[in-house]
Amino acid sequence: MSKSNSPSLTNDSVSIYKWKLLFPLILILFVILVFPLGYSLWLAFHDFSIIDPDSNKFVGNAQFQKVLTNPMYWTVMKNTFLFVLIAVSFEVILGVLIALALSKQRILKNFTRAVILAPMFVTPIAVGLMFRFILNNQLGFIPAFLAKFNISIDFFGSNYTLLTLALIDVWQWTPFIILMILSGLESLPQDPFEAAYVEGASKLTVFLTITLPLLKPVLLVAILIRSLDALKVFEYVYAITKGGPGTSTETLQFYIHKLGFGYYRLSEAAAVSWTVVVIIMIGLIIMLKSPKKEST
Amino acid sequence: MNSYQKETLLLKMVRILLIWISILTVLIPFIWVILSSFKSPSDLSDATNVFFTPILNNWTNVFNSGIPINFINSFIVAFITILISLIVGLPAAYSISKFKTGGNFTKLGILIAEVVPSATLVVPIFLASYFLGINGSILPVIFAHLTFILPIITWFLIGFFDAVPNSLEEQALIDGCTRFGAFIKIIIPQVLPGVGAASIFGFVLSWNDMFYALILGGKDTQTLPMAIAGYNTFRGVQLGEMSVAILVSAIPTIILSFFIQKRLIKMMGGGAIKE
Amino acid sequence: MLRKIMAFTLITFLLVGCSTSETNNSDSKTEEQITLNVLMEEVPDTDIAIEMVKSFNQENENIVLNIETLPYDQMRDKLVSSFLAPEAAYDIIVVDNPWMYDFSNAGYLEPLDDKIETSGSDYDFSDFSDSLEDIAIVNDQKFAIPFYNYATGLVYRKDVFEEQGISIPTTLKELCTVAQTLTTDEAYGIAAQPQKGYKIMEEWMNWLLAAGGALQNDNGDIILDSPEAREALKAYIDTINSSAPKNSTNWAFDEALRSVASGDSMMTLNYNWMLPTLNNPDGEAGSLAGNFALAEVPGGQAALGAWFWAISSNSEYKDEAWTFIEWISSPEQEKSRVISGGAPVRDSILDDPEVWEQGYGEEYYVTLKNILADAIPLANGPNAEELIQVVGTELNAAVTGQKTVDEAITDASNLAKEIMNE
Repeated sequence: MSKSNSPSLTNDSVSIYKWKLLFPLILILFVILVFPLGYSLWLAFHDFSIIDPDSNKFVGNAQFQKVLTNPMYWTVMKNTFLFVLIAVSFEVILGVLIALALSKQRILKNFTRAVILAPMFVTPIAVGLMFRFILNNQLGFIPAFLAKFNISIDFFGSNYTLLTLALIDVWQWTPFIILMILSGLESLPQDPFEAAYVEGASKLTVFLTITLPLLKPVLLVAILIRSLDALKVFEYVYAITKGGPGTSTETLQFYIHKLGFGYYRLSEAAAVSWTVVVIIMIGLIIMLKSPKKEST
Repeated sequence: MNSYQKETLLLKMVRILLIWISILTVLIPFIWVILSSFKSPSDLSDATNVFFTPILNNWTNVFNSGIPINFINSFIVAFITILISLIVGLPAAYSISKFKTGGNFTKLGILIAEVVPSATLVVPIFLASYFLGINGSILPVIFAHLTFILPIITWFLIGFFDAVPNSLEEQALIDGCTRFGAFIKIIIPQVLPGVGAASIFGFVLSWNDMFYALILGGKDTQTLPMAIAGYNTFRGVQLGEMSVAILVSAIPTIILSFFIQKRLIKMMGGGAIKE
Repeated sequence: MLRKIMAFTLITFLLVGCSTSETNNSDSKTEEQITLNVLMEEVPDTDIAIEMVKSFNQENENIVLNIETLPYDQMRDKLVSSFLAPEAAYDIIVVDNPWMYDFSNAGYLEPLDDKIETSGSDYDFSDFSDSLEDIAIVNDQKFAIPFYNYATGLVYRKDVFEEQGISIPTTLKELCTVAQTLTTDEAYGIAAQPQKGYKIMEEWMNWLLAAGGALQNDNGDIILDSPEAREALKAYIDTINSSAPKNSTNWAFDEALRSVASGDSMMTLNYNWMLPTLNNPDGEAGSLAGNFALAEVPGGQAALGAWFWAISSNSEYKDEAWTFIEWISSPEQEKSRVISGGAPVRDSILDDPEVWEQGYGEEYYVTLKNILADAIPLANGPNAEELIQVVGTELNAAVTGQKTVDEAITDASNLAKEIMNE
């Protein structure tokens, strides 16, 4: 980076400097993504199937029409967004509460944190298989425990299966919210809190008027990252239900994977993917615009 | 005064209860995994059985199956991925947070790869790595992991840079720092907990990915998730061995995260005193 | 900044170093020898085959087999994506029967007719069970050689059946009655695997065939929508509700195996090779091992699955690949493979008293021969994989009460027809 000797805040040096900071990222993303994204777009407008490799004619938006008129697509979308909504809501509420509790902890601080973060370190497919057995009516200890109270729940065979899968996601990924909020809390400046306590504000008031607003940027990013990640849920479905009962846990990533690798229709899979990209991008644009209006 | 103390006592109890419930919720499945790792196939059919004759077969089988190599592969991939992500992501996140460089276009643009499902991206990445002749090595796996981990780490850090007050940089500039110097010496220390959290999370994402490693890697570059999934065969899940593999993959990373956090908190403590 | 650049360069060097050293290694190995890359599913039958490679190499020193094993879905994903590269990533691939038509038709597999012909009468292709041979033939060409079968049988608790004087059910009705009789406070009559997709199809196919229905006729047309199919599905659901373990509508192979192994369920319709697994005292069944037996499924016609050896059409070493396949599937090697515990595919092996003695006993092989004689593949022809998944979804929806039997059969039949017309 060229040394600018004058510490001035002139617009000129900033406008170059800010792009210099960003450039490496753009370069790397461009190099690794230009071909994959281009190719998948190409696929989405053609008719390419692995088991018919010689036919790859341009079909315009026929793939998209096929996808959007397929009732299965809408079932899959509904399941996925419901899954994200349930999982992420639980994760955020629990995550913030547990992070607040942990931030005040004194004894065995690092140990407790390491334990609570542990679920993240197990590969999701193993988490799925683990819970498939733990929640199994005959082989798992949780149903055996519930049976003592005469409770019998079909965790994977009823209308609540999507909820079961969402709760598995909560088990694995609430630690992520905790991790982010804890780090956020640690980076908070101390001054506003001291001032508030001097004024005799109650804990709840301090939380609502100082902690929460200061945490907002971190919390928003946490929700965004978690939602985008939950949108890609695959392993729990794959390891436990294969999308059943019926089609009630068939989610996007699972569906796309099945279309592409199971049914060999790469073009249709790419078309589904791009509809998701468009939907998410529109959602994000709305999300990014609204908080700005609030703050100004 | 009195009422204020009462409230904290209740709050303290609720807090401790919450922490204990969380710890138990996390630990119980892990205890099940630990028990399973010592069970014989017939004992595994009865999950509620806590009293059984422990055997070491699962452990010896897994360690003879090349899991140390899987471990090293996973570690190299995850380490290089987060290293690149941090080197590139930190300045970019700062630029986006502070200067709104490129506006929302940049912010959203870098997320595209995170949104495109991996089942779609993997085919072109496979083809590209084939034509570049790097197919089957860890290189394409790292590239593929960068497609989603780099944007996530960058976004992760944006949130933390947003929370840093502008006055800090201005003060540093007045004190005679260069812009980049101020960024390295003043700003980054402010977001170290975020950097730590981002590294842990980026590491986790790479560490847990199976799909890219499967399609893009080769026989010699199998990562841990592939080894773990390998116990889920058409002839049944080999629960005992899989439990060992889960523990082998999880415990070292848990310990590592323990030290990262400890160290970060110390560094933060140091930074706060300087303030 | 300088440090940053240096770090970058270092990493790049490191990476390039890694990848080149790897390619160097494999190059130096292949100078005199020919390396065949093989992709196989991670199952005991593969382990047995890998073990046999050692004796193959005693006869053929210049052919090295580089075998990669992966679980089912991962293997399929890897295989399917490797097809997209212009050069063959794998010289030998093993093919599951639902893939056979699609892979052959797309030109990924090498026709083997000439090679089989040159191998002559000692090799004796016609010795393979007819039902398996049929799968390997696509558009009148032979594309694959049978490797091992996973046809369905009735696995039951011999001791309990004898004790209670119950005879083996031979019709659908008897199956339902026996399942109910065996259900007590301590045990369930039958462990089912109604999980969506493959699992329920593999199981329910047997019920469908026993009721006199079928998914496809000889031409491959869908004939699912029939009174027989409705009867079979209704009986299946009733039996699950009355005689299968509670809350088991998501069960797959694992759960069923463990339920039978632990003595909680008395029988199951499942892969025939489940029997040796259950009768292995070091296996899941523990002290119950030895009490299990295999019978033909009620009605006598079983759902069939099988794996096959095939050669990539763009392999450089087709002759060498054939040398190995010919060797391992020859009657002689087939015998030692089956004795080591592999699932048989040749009729002559099933009749061999030596195999009975050193393998799992006469009863098992005789029953298996009867099963294979008229077993029917899950699905035939194009898009078989999709067909299985889609019909399996509708069936599962009926079992979990999301659809009625009528709705499920009608929908499954319509969707299946759509898939076949594509």
